[in-house]
Amino acid sequence: MKINRRQFFKVCSAGLTGSSIAAMGFSPTAALAEVRSYKLARATETRNNCPYCSVSCGVLIYSTGDKSKNAPGKIIHIEGDPDDPVNRGSLCPKGAGLMDMVNSPNRIKFPEVREAGSNQWKRISWHEAFERIAKHMKTDRDANFITRNAAGTTVNRWNTFGFLASSSASNESGYITHKVLRSLGAVAFDTQARI
Amino acid sequence: MQDQAINFQAPTEEAAPILLPPADTLFAERAARFATLAASNSLGDWLGFLGNLSQAQQNVLPLASTVTLPTPGQLALAREHAMPPLDPAKRPSEWRTVLRQLLAEIAVTTEPLPVNIAQALAALQSADDTRLEALAEQLPNGEPAGADAALLPFIAAALQVVYTRQASLLDTATLQKLEHHNICPCCGSPAVASIVRLGSTINNLRYLHCSLCNSEWNVSRAVCIECGSEKDVVLQELAGSGEQKPAAVRGESCDGCKSYLKIVYQEKDPLVDPVADDLATLALDVLLDEAGYQRAGPNLLLIGAHRA
Repeated sequence: MKINRRQFFKVCSAGLTGSSIAAMGFSPTAALAEVRSYKLARATETRNNCPYCSVSCGVLIYSTGDKSKNAPGKIIHIEGDPDDPVNRGSLCPKGAGLMDMVNSPNRIKFPEVREAGSNQWKRISWHEAFERIAKHMKTDRDANFITRNAAGTTVNRWNTFGFLASSSASNESGYITHKVLRSLGAVAFDTQARI
Repeated sequence: MQDQAINFQAPTEEAAPILLPPADTLFAERAARFATLAASNSLGDWLGFLGNLSQAQQNVLPLASTVTLPTPGQLALAREHAMPPLDPAKRPSEWRTVLRQLLAEIAVTTEPLPVNIAQALAALQSADDTRLEALAEQLPNGEPAGADAALLPFIAAALQVVYTRQASLLDTATLQKLEHHNICPCCGSPAVASIVRLGSTINNLRYLHCSLCNSEWNVSRAVCIECGSEKDVVLQELAGSGEQKPAAVRGESCDGCKSYLKIVYQEKDPLVDPVADDLATLALDVLLDEAGYQRAGPNLLLIGAHRA
């Protein structure tokens, strides 16, 4: 029977009884019986960045749960990414505690607002949050936008507004951040990832 | 506790992309690992014998010192075309001398010699060069005849000795990592397993371990060694009521291309060996096979486990 290389690498229960183990006179029976006392435990391994500071250390994240099944995913371990040229596998104490931040019951998972005069935080939708932020930005820009400086030169500045972008932003989102904010006249913006 | 200054400096030396096999100790350390694993394994007898085989590999290593190395011209040609300099299909003829001495070593060190192994040793000792070359031909072609299953691990062991010696004498400056992750930069063979190493300049980096020449080369972790995907890497380990749950050995599988190879962690067990620990965890192979994953590289000391 012709087999390909991949089949040659295969190790299966039916194959072990006819393998070199048996041909050399050793019995695989006990080992095969033992297989049934095991099951597979799986964890997905993915690469990401620590969100805390501008160093943007690489991390490896291990999570359980199978996307195709009903089991909800849960992050079970986070460690420094040894292949990352920035941190080479190490993490600071804050980064080493990342998993507790991810799984923290106190973590904010949706937008909230505390209205002027109130002492209560109120949950709002993302849509409402964006709307309110846009309104604040427009009001402020309309009130404080500087078209010309004292010398009469056109400057188109919006000095009363600032923006901080994520440390996990890619080059492309950095480009978009720049284009959107500069076209509004914003001067003060930065990203966590800038070292 | 002794006072010791803490070194806050990161290691200045870069981790080596290719680690040539430490031929002077490699097989002896593997033999010791086999002996440890044999003490608590349901295939203990077999692993114990493979320990003897590994020790015999170490003992016959000096015979392979005369192997010829690729000429500077061949090395340059291999480099130019991104090919490995050693070729498993062009075996140095020394391998037959190594094999015959290896067989003699095993006959002495294994006591008592099981009947089947005695028969295999006798069959190989009486085989002529043509027959031995025909047997060796089966390994890189990946089409072993069922009747030769007991002979081929010895053939593979002799070839490992010769290629390990050759690889250990190469100069990493003349080598380069190849485009496909799962191809040895020294001899072009697929890897037997991954090892996540710990050392002064190596901090939990993954190296693939060659199934033939025992060289190792660095491949980023959390990347599928077969298809290069970073999205679908899943680590699988043995759980359940079974007695030995080897924490230092996991299956690194890819849901994208449905392949797997084992990965062993020095962090969890500093003495872990990619070849020996692979064979001590066959239950993991069986379960991964049943889950539909295809193994990505051979362990040459186990032949013919594919037959259904």
